[in-house]
Amino acid sequence: MKDNQDILLTIAATLRSFLDPLLGQPDAVDVAMYGVGLAVILGIIFGNAVILVWAERKVAGYMQSRPGPNRVGPIGLLQTVADTIKLITKEDIRPKGVDRWVWFLAPVVLFVPTLAAYAVFPFSDGLIAVDLNIGLFYFLAIASTVTIPFLMAGWASNNKYSLLGGMRSVAQMVSYEIPLVFSLVGVVMLVGSLKMSSIVEAQSGIWFVFLQPVAFLIYVIAATAETNRTPFDLVEGESEIVAGPMTEYSGMKWSLFFLAEYANLFAVSAIATTVFLGGWQPLPMPGALGEMLAAIPGWIWFAAKTYFMIFLFMWFRWTFPRFRVDQLMAFGWKVLLPLALANILVTGVGIYAYRMAIGG
Amino acid sequence: MLGKGLLTGMAVTLREMFRKNVTEEYPEVQPDLGERFRGGRLELNVSKCIACGLCMTNCPNGSIKLTTVKDENNKRQLNTYVHNTGLCLFCNLCIEACPPKCIEWSKEFAYSGYSRDALIFDCMALDKQQSAEDKSQTTEEKG
Repeated sequence: MKDNQDILLTIAATLRSFLDPLLGQPDAVDVAMYGVGLAVILGIIFGNAVILVWAERKVAGYMQSRPGPNRVGPIGLLQTVADTIKLITKEDIRPKGVDRWVWFLAPVVLFVPTLAAYAVFPFSDGLIAVDLNIGLFYFLAIASTVTIPFLMAGWASNNKYSLLGGMRSVAQMVSYEIPLVFSLVGVVMLVGSLKMSSIVEAQSGIWFVFLQPVAFLIYVIAATAETNRTPFDLVEGESEIVAGPMTEYSGMKWSLFFLAEYANLFAVSAIATTVFLGGWQPLPMPGALGEMLAAIPGWIWFAAKTYFMIFLFMWFRWTFPRFRVDQLMAFGWKVLLPLALANILVTGVGIYAYRMAIGG
Repeated sequence: MLGKGLLTGMAVTLREMFRKNVTEEYPEVQPDLGERFRGGRLELNVSKCIACGLCMTNCPNGSIKLTTVKDENNKRQLNTYVHNTGLCLFCNLCIEACPPKCIEWSKEFAYSGYSRDALIFDCMALDKQQSAEDKSQTTEEKG
């Protein structure tokens, strides 16, 4: 199975053999390869953001019976490029009275953990920057730090609406972090490992979305809230709190917030793919069709499933109206959290029942 | 069933995704304005006009200015005919009053300009222009 896929792995091996005589020492080659990996991940993040901004506007357009961007380039493909140029050339305004360093660091602090989280995504069999033993835990730990820059931005802006927006976004993200993590526990119990590649390999027979449907539902809802997307986009409830913590940011600083938002969207979709949708595993089909599907490289499967999840999140965004803040809190704490805990209990009982039935 | 409304909503938006767009792409596609559209310029058919001046007297804003001359048969002939669309409120009274029905609204609505003078149209000149264009078109077709 490994020989047909992974043109990317072949490229990596070729690059390594090319660097080997050039640098001499194996450690130096490793460092160089990590540098290449970092560059690739940055490329994925930026390229993705460009595509997703365009895709979101196209999806929004089509769902509202209008064409979406279609002026710049063929079918509007260069629209995001134009937007990017506009953002880069925009004046970088620093309002009077901001807490200078905290204000400056907030977008950076937001972007760095997002970048770091990409290290553990299993894009394909063997195509993973660092296959940590605690991969899932690492992702959750890194992802949970993005609440801090929101509070930093809100507080340092020296603006009461930004502060309120920041506080609200932090309250929301903290509330939904817990059901998000707990929804993944069921899968971890089934696999018995936090390693990303093990989680994907455990799904070669059946995807966990079928074994853990409730957990998948909880994950999707909590992930929507985590990425601050509609119907949970209270951070940007423009009629209530202007644009939340990023009100005072302009130009490149603002675009870093935006970039992190889309990088996060890709991240939660990638985790949903890895944990629930079988990662880079092909669609399990019997017979010749199954073989045909298995011939498609793993990273294409991974990308397809991830983009399906992203489309799902976009679909939510252009369908559902926004929650009210008290409804949001009540739903998170009184519905999702008990449901996630119950799911863990049922999974545990189920595992024991299965072992007893098997006679282990 | 709990959450049925959410699924219904998602079905609606998904169906909408594959429907035809309703957007008119304006500069390329001109909108279909309909029979009774008011809001263009006044299009004057000079040869039909009897120079009675009813359009001018009916205009509540005085946006139509016309002058006449008498020809050799002592009949009134149109000398100048100016429509100031900057003053016009597109009430249609001039067109309703016209006995030979020689004025009508053009379908052209995008005639904004940088000064008020750009909104004043000499309808006789435009009519001549129009007929000249028609002529050139017919010759082109012949050629």
